[in-house]
Amino acid sequence: MNGKTRTIVAALLALMLVLAFVPGCTTEKESDSDEPTNGDNGAETPTTDVKAAMITDTAGLGDKSFNDLTWQGFEQAEDELGVQVEVLESATINDYESNLDQLALAGYSPLVATGFMLTDTVSKVAPMYPDTMFINIDGFFDPVPPNVVGVGFKENEGSYLAGVVAGLATIDTFDDRLNDQNVIGFVGGMDVPLIRKFQAGFEAGAKSVNPDIKVIALYTGSWSDVAKGKELGLSLIEQGADVIYAAAGGCGEGTVRACQEKGALFIGVDADQYNTIANSGDVMLTSMMKNIDVVVFDLVKAMVDDEFPAGTMQVFGLKEGGVGLAPWHDFDSKVPQSIKDAVDKATDDIISGAVTVPEAL
Amino acid sequence: MLSDVITPDLFAAALRIATPLALAAIGGTICERSGIVNIALEGIMLFGAFFGTATVLATGSPWLGVIVAVLAGVIVSAIHATASINLRTDQVVSGTAINLLALGVTGFLMELWYGHPGTTEPIRTLQPVFHFTASGEGVLNEIWRWINGVFLSHTPIVYATIVIALATHWAMYHTRWGLRLRALGEHPRAVETAGVSVARGRWVAVLMSGALGGLAGANLSIEQVGVFQENFTNGRGFIALAANIFGRWTPIGSYLASLLFGFADALQIKLQPFRDVVDIPPQFFYMLPYVLTVVVVAGVMGRAIGPAAVGVPYEKE
Repeated sequence: MNGKTRTIVAALLALMLVLAFVPGCTTEKESDSDEPTNGDNGAETPTTDVKAAMITDTAGLGDKSFNDLTWQGFEQAEDELGVQVEVLESATINDYESNLDQLALAGYSPLVATGFMLTDTVSKVAPMYPDTMFINIDGFFDPVPPNVVGVGFKENEGSYLAGVVAGLATIDTFDDRLNDQNVIGFVGGMDVPLIRKFQAGFEAGAKSVNPDIKVIALYTGSWSDVAKGKELGLSLIEQGADVIYAAAGGCGEGTVRACQEKGALFIGVDADQYNTIANSGDVMLTSMMKNIDVVVFDLVKAMVDDEFPAGTMQVFGLKEGGVGLAPWHDFDSKVPQSIKDAVDKATDDIISGAVTVPEAL
Repeated sequence: MLSDVITPDLFAAALRIATPLALAAIGGTICERSGIVNIALEGIMLFGAFFGTATVLATGSPWLGVIVAVLAGVIVSAIHATASINLRTDQVVSGTAINLLALGVTGFLMELWYGHPGTTEPIRTLQPVFHFTASGEGVLNEIWRWINGVFLSHTPIVYATIVIALATHWAMYHTRWGLRLRALGEHPRAVETAGVSVARGRWVAVLMSGALGGLAGANLSIEQVGVFQENFTNGRGFIALAANIFGRWTPIGSYLASLLFGFADALQIKLQPFRDVVDIPPQFFYMLPYVLTVVVVAGVMGRAIGPAAVGVPYEKE
């Protein structure tokens, strides 16, 4: 091979390497095509000089839960409050700090960091930029730094409702995929306290309506291994589970496919997964929603209104509307009224304090 | 408890989990036997899975998707071949570049073609080859339930992989191609002296490993899950390399090593509900492939030495 070809190939290879990082770090989302009314002629859009930015965890935008929900809250803030928004995706955990630095230096505030995986980074970066406000979804701080808001959700309360649904459904016959075994399944992502909280609520809810029920819990050890999510689903179904609740990030999609293949029902997590996992309606009983979009919007609005609750932990449970069950969608006519009533009763009991949902197993 | 852990699905799951690992591992075996290190398998699988899925989304034909996945693997491996054979670059660097490229390009094309990152729409998948039912009581029915569950419940590529393992193993030790391939990795100069082109032999080997890597990606996306997701392969390409070493650079060894890793993973899934009885943390099983590989490389379980000329660029005199 002569020198010239070699140079060209080398240049191409170098270009490829550069390309490889393109969607990794700096996917910019700007108010383009889909909002033509926003901008010059948008007389109704109020103006504010608040510039909000988010950084994703490694799951990135498109996770159909968590990061996408935060972005939804941002889009709403852009439309309704005229806030300028920006997002940086993190390809690896090494990007967290540099992404936060970059946005803080560019003058964005508040900065939303999604996920407990970023809590340590926020604790480290926040003191360096005292004038920048930070919001960490699922972040727990003790004490809370003066320019940080930690957002917590009572996932155990929402999961309790999912448990009530699954616990009653497995002994019901409203769908022919429900077998006669009193077994339900739980698929977790990484085996961490946060996901144990989902599991604890789910089990407590199921046992509250069906004391003899067997709840099998499996963990994928990953947030993104779809194939593993499916294997776990298949294994649960083989062990007799007919309703499976997954709190495992992207792995949940694999569990949905296992349910479709072998005939079981699925309960989604974080978002209303009926809408976010394509063609899942035939198995999607309901979802346990964390209304991250609402919370993010409210906090950005508080920033615009100069009422930002800096230096506090904000915890959203059933009472505060932070968690709850999604609509039944295709199962609305199938699910018996008795189950719907049981969910309503459990909701009232939790809100009134008559029932306290455990946070750990 | 034992009857809940030792089920037909335990072994069926082992076969399913082992298949993508084994395909990539055999690809790695062929490649390394020719003297080229191929750590790009992870990226090749990812490319195969993505383009396979994209083809099924566009045409609705899973088989066409498999073909495109294999072709994508071949094309990507051609980059590796050009860099490491013709340009004599460091093979590890070229492989790493392809792995990074695969993550970037597939994510980028998802945005470009489907307008969103993350996961694609679900696709039509390849269905299991046989559809027998197993029910009833009695010993014979029980035996039939096991045979059906373990061996007859699989999708085409799972069976193809066993055939590929046997065929490449036979070819490696009983054909002229196999003899030359092994010589390429041990003593390329001798091959050249015998009048056979080293570059050509290595090119063929790298492209074959690309085809197998692409097929591994197709198995994951078009057979197992039916979607493509960013970073879909989750490090399976690297476990496959470990399987290749654990299998001592032979196709059947690679297959059996993958089967062992697959079995460990399947067992881990079945044992999880019994954490209160047998408390082995799942993390123990996650690390097992790597620990076993280190054990083999360290020579604890007999001699395991790779091809002598692997990783060394060949310069024609």
